[in-house]
Amino acid sequence: MDNQTIVQIHNLEKRYGKKQVLHGINLEITSGQIIGYIGPNGAGKSTTVKILCGLINDFEGDINIFGKDLRTHTLEIKQQVGYIPENAVLYESLTPMEFMEFIGEMRGLENEICRSKAKALMNIFEMKPNLNQRIATFSKGMRQKVMICSALLHNPDLIFMDEPLSGLDANSVIMVKEMLTHLAREGKTIFYSSHLMDVVEKISDRIILIDQGKVIADGSFEELNKLSNDENLEKMFTRLTGNTNHGEKAEAFINAFEK
Amino acid sequence: MIKFLLSLFKPFRWFIEKMDVDYDQFIRILQLKLTLDNRQMKGLGNHSKNETENALTKQSFAQIMFGIFFAIFLLMIKSPFTYYYFAHTFLMVMMAMMIISKFTTILFDTSENVIIQPLPIKGNTISLARNAHVLLYLSMMAFNFSVVSIIVAITKFGIISALVFSFSIGLNVLFTLFLANMLYLVIMRFASGEKLKNLLMYFQIVIAILFMAFYQFGINLVDRTQIQNMVLPVHWYTYLVPPAFFSGLVEAFTSFVFDYRHCIFIVEALTIPIIGIYLTGKYLTPIFNRKLMDLEQGDRVSKVKTETTHQSLWYRMMLAVFVHRQEEKASFKLVWTMTGRERLFMQTFLPSLGFIVIMVAVQFFRKNSFNVDELIHSPLYLFILYALMFVAASLPAALLLGNNGHATWLFKTMPLSSPAHYFKGFIKAAFARFFMPFYLLVSVGICVLWGYKAIPDVVIALLSIYLITLLFYYIQELVFPFSNEKRASQGGAAFIKVMGLMIIAVILGFLHFFLLRWFNYASLLLVPFYLGVIYYVNRVFVYKKINWEEVDKANAYS
Repeated sequence: MDNQTIVQIHNLEKRYGKKQVLHGINLEITSGQIIGYIGPNGAGKSTTVKILCGLINDFEGDINIFGKDLRTHTLEIKQQVGYIPENAVLYESLTPMEFMEFIGEMRGLENEICRSKAKALMNIFEMKPNLNQRIATFSKGMRQKVMICSALLHNPDLIFMDEPLSGLDANSVIMVKEMLTHLAREGKTIFYSSHLMDVVEKISDRIILIDQGKVIADGSFEELNKLSNDENLEKMFTRLTGNTNHGEKAEAFINAFEK
Repeated sequence: MIKFLLSLFKPFRWFIEKMDVDYDQFIRILQLKLTLDNRQMKGLGNHSKNETENALTKQSFAQIMFGIFFAIFLLMIKSPFTYYYFAHTFLMVMMAMMIISKFTTILFDTSENVIIQPLPIKGNTISLARNAHVLLYLSMMAFNFSVVSIIVAITKFGIISALVFSFSIGLNVLFTLFLANMLYLVIMRFASGEKLKNLLMYFQIVIAILFMAFYQFGINLVDRTQIQNMVLPVHWYTYLVPPAFFSGLVEAFTSFVFDYRHCIFIVEALTIPIIGIYLTGKYLTPIFNRKLMDLEQGDRVSKVKTETTHQSLWYRMMLAVFVHRQEEKASFKLVWTMTGRERLFMQTFLPSLGFIVIMVAVQFFRKNSFNVDELIHSPLYLFILYALMFVAASLPAALLLGNNGHATWLFKTMPLSSPAHYFKGFIKAAFARFFMPFYLLVSVGICVLWGYKAIPDVVIALLSIYLITLLFYYIQELVFPFSNEKRASQGGAAFIKVMGLMIIAVILGFLHFFLLRWFNYASLLLVPFYLGVIYYVNRVFVYKKINWEEVDKANAYS
């Protein structure tokens, strides 16, 4: 499959009131890639993802997704996009089946197809017995699984994930990682935001590091590594985001107890 | 029931689609919202979540019952204008309360944005579904509340009148919705985030108290024959009072009088709600949605208030008076700080405070001659003091409410010998922070009116109230503070509790009264008695009653 440009971000800026969170982000993303989107807390990761998914509408700059302007073709773009939010926000009093039926119908899926897909997806996560139980009774990991299933229901071409592995057990983590590589091989694009550096390092084809609303590193881990010779992504992250004195801080932490 | 409600929209399909709204999506969102309403969670904590499937039906039933009580009052009124005026006022107040209490959470709940926004749904569809949901809910409520009044109206004023009345109820719903929208926008102009929620809470409390005041004074002070023959006069400003439009409209069709006066009402009743709803759809909803977007980021944008760590003199005084054990200090401080910030607590406690004040005031004004001389020689102040027991006794139940159920593990992980220390600190803090200032204020008032000789009585009553509050708290379910999201069932248990409290208050009050009668300072005998019992309760009883076994039964530590 030839790689075509899926997402084009040009000079994206975003302000909350007077506070500017994004200072001109420029990105081009091609299909079939897993993009690791990393950065310290408050760097603007979630804001970018929210803008790309259409949760936040007022921003400055231009965004093209699938060659269409996000501002004018919002609905068509949303049709092909899947989003897994950071905190699994679900309607507690619905069952996963009811929830996915709702999501599916909103996306214009036939009810029958929607049901069978929901069953199949939940089955992969070994959650078929829970299909008709209320979400309120689920653990964090189970909710996350429901969230992942409902975001993949309509077979999106572009998937945004905000810390998708939180709360999942080891088996599910391996499964999701495998799933992501499979999806990418099929030509889907995955935009993956996380704080787990080792996971990002392993699965990402390309890593984008942002800090204080700006892109400060962009490329595959190998490319980035050539420039700097860090032994792993964690070290690189630390060096680039300007927190090198962890040793001292840890010591100060210990000292605080001894007083 | 949901299917029936949704089918009501079918005839308007063309109209809805004309507004650039996807009809199927619209119905589906509406169905979702109603299903959620229908499945309100009941029960305490996470461990005993009873799932109810018919919350809507149950609620309708309760509303109809409420409507019956109101209709009994209306039954007495002879004048049609007055009858409909009260019916509409009642409806508007009830709907306003409903909007404030229920829809505040729905309207400002932005968490579902994460689910709805990434889906390919037009903005129009979302806002129409939101408004239709509110409208449907209100109409259902309006219908339930007034179905009995409509039947009464048929027998009293004839079928045509009742039909027009039903129609005017629909107009009233539209108008109230418009008013509520306006109100929210005005409030949102001045506040956002946490501040906004607090403002709405106080607003809600004030309305609840006003409503009780209106009811109490209405029942106790107005003569029955006055109600029967009551005819509301029409002044120039009557034309500005919303319920008057609707009652004027209905009256015109009851007595078939179409003079200029009625015509003004008719025109108002027909045009104002329509204009209102047009404005709501065209201008208010978009502004509202935009504001809501901002609100989502609310506290991040606006300056967040930094809380002072400074401890007030009052706090230090109360700490010295009430807390003598190191172990209780932390829990005392926790509840002291949190009670002022927990909205559910304030929402429960403050209305009960207002209620008692109103009850006492009604007792004062009931004796038509308000004679100070006579008052001073009566022991009425004892009644006031013991009535305050109800205020203090509402603290234990109010302390349970809050959204911090997930934080209770904290208490369990602390190395503390007995959980009784926690509970002692909790109730003492609530008592000291909320009841003491209020009691002192009342005491000062009493001492001004009755003189210094009332001081011993004030002290005695305080001791007895403190004792009863402690007992109420230690005996009730041992749930950690602010961890129950829903009020516990208001049914039989609550009634028995109130009756029991009433009996206790009366017995203790009379004991006090008779000792006072017996000879002048006999009541002072009660001081060592109460102190002794309080000492026993706080040093022995509480440690026997409250142990980890009992506490673990009541809490889930999730």
